[in-house]
Amino acid sequence: MIAQEAQYREWMLAALAGDGTAYRMLLAALTRHLRSYFARRLDSGAEDAVQETLIAIHTRRASYDPGLPFTAWVHGIARYKLIDEYRRRRRRATVPLDEARDLFGHDEAGEAIARRDVEQLLAKLPSARQQLVRDVKLDGIPVADVAARTGMSESAVKVAVHRAVKSLGEFAKGAVGGKGKGHADG
Amino acid sequence: MRTDDLIARLTDDLAPVKGGTAQRLLLTAAALGLLSSAALMLAVLGLRYDFDTAITSFGMWTKLVYTFVIAGLGLWTVERLGRPGAGAARPVALLALPVLAILLLSAWQMAAPHADMDALVLGHSSRVCAANVLLVALPTLAAAFWVLRRLAPTRPALAGAGAGLFAGAAGAFIYAFHCTEGAAPFIAIWYTLGIVLTAGVGAVLGRFLLRW
Repeated sequence: MIAQEAQYREWMLAALAGDGTAYRMLLAALTRHLRSYFARRLDSGAEDAVQETLIAIHTRRASYDPGLPFTAWVHGIARYKLIDEYRRRRRRATVPLDEARDLFGHDEAGEAIARRDVEQLLAKLPSARQQLVRDVKLDGIPVADVAARTGMSESAVKVAVHRAVKSLGEFAKGAVGGKGKGHADG
Repeated sequence: MRTDDLIARLTDDLAPVKGGTAQRLLLTAAALGLLSSAALMLAVLGLRYDFDTAITSFGMWTKLVYTFVIAGLGLWTVERLGRPGAGAARPVALLALPVLAILLLSAWQMAAPHADMDALVLGHSSRVCAANVLLVALPTLAAAFWVLRRLAPTRPALAGAGAGLFAGAAGAFIYAFHCTEGAAPFIAIWYTLGIVLTAGVGAVLGRFLLRW
C-alpha cells in the first residue's frame, strides 16, 4: 500500500463531492509526484505531460471507483500519458513495467535532499541566472512568460538557462569528483 | 500556461460527480445498444416464425442463458477496463463457466444414441450464423465504445475487445430470437464464433477509437 493512499483518497472523495479546497490540495500534491515521474522518463516536455495528466485526471474523474486504490488510478492515467508521449515521439516502442510505487514511492525526504543539493549549487550562480533557472526549470514557467517579465528575448532566456544548467553540471561534477574520483561521468 | 494556473482553473469550476456515474453510463449504453440491436434484427432478419412455441423450448433457453451470461461478464469487463488501475481478470476468468457448461451440454447431446452429428454441429444456418451475430452486435458495439470513450481505458485494444465481447454476446442474445437452431454443439461453435469475431473487431477499432 502506498503511504499517501488514505490522505489522497480522502481528498479525492471530497473533491468528487464538490470540495474545491481538497481538490486543490490533491492536485498540488499529485503535481509533485507527476513532475518527478515524467522528468525521470522524458528528456523534454515533462511539464506538458504533467499538465496533460492533470487535465485527464480532471475530465475523467468519474472513472475513479471509490472501492479501488486511488494511487493505482492516478498511476494508470500517468502511465497511459507516458506511453502516449513515447508513441507520439516514435522513440520507444515499449514502456518499462512500472507500478504505482514508481509514481508515489520515492520518499519525500530524498526529494528534499535533492532540492537542497540543487539550492547549494544554484547559490554558486550569479543571482540573475539563479532566478532564471528557478523559474524555467524548477517552477516550470514557460520561457515566453519569463522573457516577457525580464525584458529579455526568448532565445536569450533559453541560452542563459542552458549555460547556467551547464555550469551547474560542472559544479556538481566537481562536488562528486571531490568525494570519489572515477564516478563523475556515470 | 503555468501548472499552478492550470490547477487553479481546474479547481475553480469544480462540479460534483454523483456516485455511480460510470455504472449509470454503462447501463444506459447497454440498454440503448440492446434496443438498437433488437430493432436492427427485427428490421433486417425478422422474428423466427415459430416464436410462440419456440420460446418454451430447451434449445431457445440454451441460447438465451449462454449468451446472457457472457454478455453480463462482458459488461463487467468493459466496466473494469474503463477504469485505470482496475484489473479485468475476474470477469474474464469467469467466462470459463458458460463455456464449460455449453461444452458439457454439447458432449452430452452428441453422445446420445443415434445423434445426428450434421444436424447438431452444422444445423442449416452455420454459414451465416457468425456473420449475423456480428451484424446484430454492431449497434451495441457502438454503444459500448460510446461509454468507454467517456471513461478512461488505459489499454485501448483490450478495452475494445471487452466491448466486442459484450456486444457480441448481446448481439447473439438478440439473434437467438431470429435463429431457429437450438442444438448445443451448434451454439458452442457458431454463436461463440460470432462473439469472438465481434471481440476481434472491437480490439482493432479500440486501437484507433479509444485514444484519449
